[in-house]
Amino acid sequence: MTRKLFIFSTIAFWIAVAGLGTTSVWWLPAGQGAAQAKEQTISPADLAKHRSPENCWMAIRGAVYDLSTYLPEHPSRPDIVLPWCGKEASEAYNTKMKGRPHSPYADELLAKYRIGLFAKVP
Amino acid sequence: MNRLRFLWLPIVVSFLVGAPVFWAFPEGLRFWRATAIVLGWVGCGLLLASLLLMVREVRLAIWLGGLERMTLWHHRSGVAAYLLLLLHPLTLAADGWQESPLLAWQVISPFSANWPVWVGWGALLLLMLGLSTTFARHLPYGSWRWLHGLLGIGVIVGFVHVLLLGISMAALLATLAAVLLLVWRLIRVDAGCAAKPYIVNSVHPVAQSMVEISLRPLATPIVARAGQFIMVAFFHGPHYRGCGEYHPFTICATGPGAEFSIGIKALGDCTQQMQRLEAGVAARVQGPFGEFLAERPATPQIWVAGGIGITPFLAILRSEPLSQPTRLLYLFRSTADAAFLDELQALAERDAHLILEALPTGAGIPNVEKLLPASDLLSGKECYLCGPPALIESLSRVLKDRGVGEQNIHFESFDFR
Repeated sequence: MTRKLFIFSTIAFWIAVAGLGTTSVWWLPAGQGAAQAKEQTISPADLAKHRSPENCWMAIRGAVYDLSTYLPEHPSRPDIVLPWCGKEASEAYNTKMKGRPHSPYADELLAKYRIGLFAKVP
Repeated sequence: MNRLRFLWLPIVVSFLVGAPVFWAFPEGLRFWRATAIVLGWVGCGLLLASLLLMVREVRLAIWLGGLERMTLWHHRSGVAAYLLLLLHPLTLAADGWQESPLLAWQVISPFSANWPVWVGWGALLLLMLGLSTTFARHLPYGSWRWLHGLLGIGVIVGFVHVLLLGISMAALLATLAAVLLLVWRLIRVDAGCAAKPYIVNSVHPVAQSMVEISLRPLATPIVARAGQFIMVAFFHGPHYRGCGEYHPFTICATGPGAEFSIGIKALGDCTQQMQRLEAGVAARVQGPFGEFLAERPATPQIWVAGGIGITPFLAILRSEPLSQPTRLLYLFRSTADAAFLDELQALAERDAHLILEALPTGAGIPNVEKLLPASDLLSGKECYLCGPPALIESLSRVLKDRGVGEQNIHFESFDFR
């Protein structure tokens, strides 16, 4: 009985993984790009006003993200992420663990919280 | 088994599952992400329970209701953990799917530059490989045992995955507990540190491919009752080279000076080799375990033995006269396989309570419907079964069909793989 359960569940798992692995072949994202044209530009001073856990903006790779609603879901400890609220955090984002950047998954997830372009000080 | 001892095992498993889930229960997260986290922690708790249940200690076995029950729950909790841990990445992907199907794949893709994901995949693949070899029963026991060890490595790698996610305290405690249990098992059980030294005193052939071995203690002996079982490994003697693997054997007689004897039937490579055992071979003994036949009520009884399964019944008959009417049905392939038959017939002549029926059944599982008494003769009787798992299954089914309650059917199957 348990042997059959093991075989059945393992096959079902690999079918599901194979289905997810081929999403890039059959799923085409739509509606991207138009929104970026109307983006606001956010200055370092504006960014710095949003440095609390409940109101946390970060500038990463030239864009600003409002991560207030995402922070509770971030897997690492709060004391690792919270100090970057209200700041330019590209370096921290790119050197998450032993110098490695965040994953493509994180890049994809981050895009959801984008609120504008970051106006760097000349 | 009293009710408290029956409840201890589910209580311990529930604690090991419930404590991490209570500690890490997600709040304010989306449904699928919260579900994935809960599944991960329930899987971790079940893996810890499975590790605890493979520790073979006498006191622990008594506390948790016996080694057979522990082994059964070890299997159940291990497979349940595997199923939930398969669902863990899929539910994480389901959370990503709410944003976009591409994100769903990115969550679990092993091609992302992400150590926690790589290590998580590594753990899952080790569990998958370890379980697939666990179910490969045709493997020789020695190879099977080492491949089964992949599961232990998979569990540790799985906890490293949790540590890499930055979940510090609970993951650290769980990883330490898993390492401790694995080291405990390796040192106390597999390396034999919990075993007592014995030496083979005498060897007597009792049937085709079956010998009775008498063992003498070399240090503090184990305290065992006839009919309990022990785990014994045989090492080297004057002309014998043992395989050193621990196998279960029933104590079929106890003697003076804490000596005892066991019956060994050639059922695999190692037990085949044991047929050539000689006096003076070093042995190590773990146990005793089991309480089959220990708490027999005063009601009439039916005992059914298949082949080597006669040993616990023989042990009781050798140790004391019966106090309740007992019918012993002894099934064996052919007369050449009928171990201890002459002795059993002599015991039946002396003991008015014992009725012996000895039947050669040929190869394969016999038609037990013809062999077992009719329903009216089974009414009010306690049934004790010992033999190959397929025979026990067949006997139990027919007994239940004939109205014997599950609580009145007792068996010991020695299925420790």
